[in-house]
Amino acid sequence: MRILSNVTPGSLYGLMGNITLSTNNENYYIITDYKFSSSVKDYLAHPKSLSALKMVKLNETYLSKTIANLSPSEIKKVSLAKALLSSKKYLIFDYFDKDLTSEEQAYYLRLFKRLTTDYGKTILLFTNDLTFLWSTKTIYYVDNEGNITSYNPKDPALLDCITPPPLTEFINLLRSKNIKISDYYNSADLLKALYRIKED
Amino acid sequence: MSTLFTLNNLEFKDIDTTVVYTSSYNYLNDAIFFLHHDTEVITITSNASITDIPISILKEFNCLYLLTQTKLTKIDELKLSILKSLSSTKTIYVFLNVLTYLEPSFKKNIINYLKLHHKRIINYTQNMEETLLLDYIIVVHNDLVIMEGAKKSVLLEEKIFKKLGLNLPFIVELSIGLKYYGLISKIYFDNESLVQALWN
Repeated sequence: MRILSNVTPGSLYGLMGNITLSTNNENYYIITDYKFSSSVKDYLAHPKSLSALKMVKLNETYLSKTIANLSPSEIKKVSLAKALLSSKKYLIFDYFDKDLTSEEQAYYLRLFKRLTTDYGKTILLFTNDLTFLWSTKTIYYVDNEGNITSYNPKDPALLDCITPPPLTEFINLLRSKNIKISDYYNSADLLKALYRIKED
Repeated sequence: MSTLFTLNNLEFKDIDTTVVYTSSYNYLNDAIFFLHHDTEVITITSNASITDIPISILKEFNCLYLLTQTKLTKIDELKLSILKSLSSTKTIYVFLNVLTYLEPSFKKNIINYLKLHHKRIINYTQNMEETLLLDYIIVVHNDLVIMEGAKKSVLLEEKIFKKLGLNLPFIVELSIGLKYYGLISKIYFDNESLVQALWN
């Protein structure tokens, strides 16, 4: 994981590109396969298992469950609980946002930020959804040749590498029709802007 | 509309359907059902090889670059798996939370290809933008069907989706806001139509 060798510790980063995550560095914890064979209790195997489960929005009833009793989303949350119990300073998440509702995505982003500020963790989120990464410090994009470029998450240049989110596509369409509009990153702000433009 | 099959509480009708589920739903159990009902089931686990796919298909889906890749990523393998399935004689395709990993253009091309070849599509997803792709929606929460119906009526149920922790697709959410402010008179489901309605 070349990317993490140069980052400032204790922050939240994004990672995009058509790559497969891997590392030989034992300081890094990649949360990627979202599978385990034992019960949740045995998998977590830690005195603070219940606290970790609660942090990921699962309760004590999950301790006795096995992977067969869990949905893919719940398996993912248990994997996160396991990562929280590790002492690794670097946590890397592989498409963690998939299998989560919008509300859960927002909750876990808040949790990740808390882990960076309160516990000094360095977190790297790998996904293809730019909207999930807009609040990260920096997004690293890896191209097909393996070159790594860092972007401010809201840098328009990043959109040359990836498919823009629906909101950005809509703004681009307005601009293509000569409607002057700033950049927005949520539909509520865009709505207000459209109202103002139409009122004028 | 005739019924294709009934699976626990889910009755699949003969129409292209998006199944939107919340995090407690274990759709992997549904996979087992589908595998026994003569459907083409696409999961994130791939077993395809580049040699399984005709060059014409690779070209049509802008995947010729895969021929020169020395090491395939998880997403490359998923694409191969989907492209391989296109030669199947089965008439029903079930995507189990996989389209969300693909870029929108590839996703739309696959859907269009299957529709053109008169295949029936069932797409399980938590990515609400994907609900715009197919005509019918079933919403599942805690193993129960919360609501179902034509896309254009189900997506108007903003309050129910919010309660489930799911955001509406961007264009629908924006339309609802614009309609509330009296800037448009109905809900739109694509960018072009909405922009036209705003700047007629």
